Amino acid sequence: MITAAWIALFAPAAGTLLIALLGQRISRFQAGLVASGSTLVSFVCSVIVFVVLLGEHPEERTHSSTLWTWLSAGDLRFGAQIQVDQLSVFMMLIVSGVGFLILSYAVGYMHGDPEERRYHAYKALFVFSMLLLVQAGNLLLLLAGWGMVGLSSYLLINFWHFRASAVAAGKKAFIMNAIGDATFALALFLLIQRTGSLDFATVFKEGVVDKGSAAAILIALGLLGGAVAKSAQIPLHTWLPDAMEGPTPVSALIHAATMVTAGVYLIVRTHTLFELAPDIQDLAGILGGITILLAGLIALVQTDIKRVIAYSTMSQIGYMFLAVGLGAYGSGLFHLMTHAFFKALLFMAAGIVIHALSDEQDIRRMGGLARNLPWTYRAFLVGALALAAVPPFSGFFSKDSILASAANAGTLGWILWGIGAVGAFLTALYTFRLLFVVFRGELSAFAREHLHVPHFECGLAMAWPVAVLTVLAAVAGFLQVPWGWKLVDEWIDPVAQSAEEATGLTLTFSVVVTTAIALAGIAVAWRVWGRPNPLPERLRRRYPWAARTLEEKFYFDTAYDRAFYEPTAQTAAFATRYVEEPVFLRSLGELARGVRLASDRLSTVQTGRVRTYALGVAAGAAILVLVFLAVS
Amino acid sequence: MPGPSIAAYLIVSVLLFATGAFGVLIRRSPLIVLLALEIMLNAGNLALLAFSRHSGNPDGQIFALTVMVVAAAEAVIGLGLIVAMSRQRVDLDVDKLTSLRG
Repeated sequence: MITAAWIALFAPAAGTLLIALLGQRISRFQAGLVASGSTLVSFVCSVIVFVVLLGEHPEERTHSSTLWTWLSAGDLRFGAQIQVDQLSVFMMLIVSGVGFLILSYAVGYMHGDPEERRYHAYKALFVFSMLLLVQAGNLLLLLAGWGMVGLSSYLLINFWHFRASAVAAGKKAFIMNAIGDATFALALFLLIQRTGSLDFATVFKEGVVDKGSAAAILIALGLLGGAVAKSAQIPLHTWLPDAMEGPTPVSALIHAATMVTAGVYLIVRTHTLFELAPDIQDLAGILGGITILLAGLIALVQTDIKRVIAYSTMSQIGYMFLAVGLGAYGSGLFHLMTHAFFKALLFMAAGIVIHALSDEQDIRRMGGLARNLPWTYRAFLVGALALAAVPPFSGFFSKDSILASAANAGTLGWILWGIGAVGAFLTALYTFRLLFVVFRGELSAFAREHLHVPHFECGLAMAWPVAVLTVLAAVAGFLQVPWGWKLVDEWIDPVAQSAEEATGLTLTFSVVVTTAIALAGIAVAWRVWGRPNPLPERLRRRYPWAARTLEEKFYFDTAYDRAFYEPTAQTAAFATRYVEEPVFLRSLGELARGVRLASDRLSTVQTGRVRTYALGVAAGAAILVLVFLAVS
Repeated sequence: MPGPSIAAYLIVSVLLFATGAFGVLIRRSPLIVLLALEIMLNAGNLALLAFSRHSGNPDGQIFALTVMVVAAAEAVIGLGLIVAMSRQRVDLDVDKLTSLRG
């Protein structure tokens, strides 16, 4: 069983190596098959591991295995060690399963790109890194996977390296993530200082740090910093919308389904450390709540189809943070799973639309595509219904599970429940705005000119993963049903005991209210964007400052520019002008001029006449003789 | 076998050396300069031999032989250069050969 876990981990790495080493000897299509095939191997192995774990007693499902000592320094020893338990298997299934579907889709989507092989190699590298992250048996290896997903994300965001904006977006993502990586690493240093180890077993033992002590707070804060950066939560979120510069399957896999949810995984994995610092855990929930609102509002005015979905991703991860911040680990992970399904689906459907319109992403030029892309429309509709949490689609069950937990978590819980409910309205609103603007109404002039619909609307390679995800996005919610069963909670509980969900009247209230709110959001979206309506324009004219704030994304980018970039640039310009030029450049220039002048003078000594030299030699000898005589 | 004292030999040697050095310094024909150089070398040889005889140590004589070999080799190269120069129709005047001026 543990062998299967190791194979699951290393299969994508082998795929990457194979593509890199074979180079031109395999066709681009074969490179794609190697990448998706290696991920399929991972998925099959993950299923095997899952089935074996199912057959074991819930308390004895944690296995760990060390291949070799990876790193040792003094008393510290870190093994190349994986841990298989309910949580890591849950993540392995999502990563390799959704990963396999998206890699298969990418074979069709990237078809014809001149650097396709490099793309597939990076994709497989990402799956390996992500599996390393979720399978790691100690925090150091987890950090290694954490850094490697950042690297693969960087490589894939600026995959189209000839676009300046893509390169800038890649750098931005890397730098924002590096901030999180740094706080994460600092937390690990503190842990090593306190416990002398980073093994899960040692670190998560009770009483390694005192509850509420400064050390506990700092450790939790460092981990939270890492999670916030990786999961694009406020205030380290600005990289995610820009990351949409990457190819659409990258956005689907990395920036929707898997990598950005790593923060949620980290918090659940280290939940014992967070529970030692309850204030910081609350902070995670509050940051999630703020992100839900701000990202939902920004999504309302974005005009790039992928950016709307990206802001939606931020806001949905906000729900997951809200859940894990309140201790509802099962609900958070459940939403992570359903979100992986329906958000990957939305991205892939958006990719089909983008392809059909010769790479146009601006929704103002789209419209009326439902008639020409009927199946894409249906897939998108299922994804949108799931995202807007309409029963019985998957998002309803998972979001509802989160809100029901919030309703049971005291005053802070009720505040966050309110935020979540408002967020549910915003979610329905922006999702169906996107749907109506892109698919309903008259076919737009741009679309009439550029629309090109291949077989199955996108080619078979892209069609079948979308179909599978459509089914998953529709039905995956039945894993956890209010008043019924809670399979995800029960599965995760031995690793991370979830907080109680609300029951009885509170649960009924929560379910009814949030569903009504979601439906209201859809209705409003229909009124406003379903048919020509002057309301958005009127609002824009009436409250120009509000429209401007939203379009400027609450000025986060501007503020960071003012606070960090501009002072740095100004200091550098100042130093160039007043330090480097006078002190270094000019002084060096003067020095060189002096040397040149001196050697000019000196070179006149060299007359080129043999007789002068001979005289010099003779005179020198004579002087030496005189000196010797004088000395002796 | 009494003969002139060592001082006499050294005086002759110094006179020869001074003649050679003076020749190198004032003559402009490379041929004569080469000749003057040979005179200087032989002045050195004479001093070596005189000291060798004076101290009864044959090392000086051996060294003088070595100097002669070097002088012969130098003459070959020097004369070869002078022949080559005249073939190239370069003026045989050391003061005009100043292309290495700084």
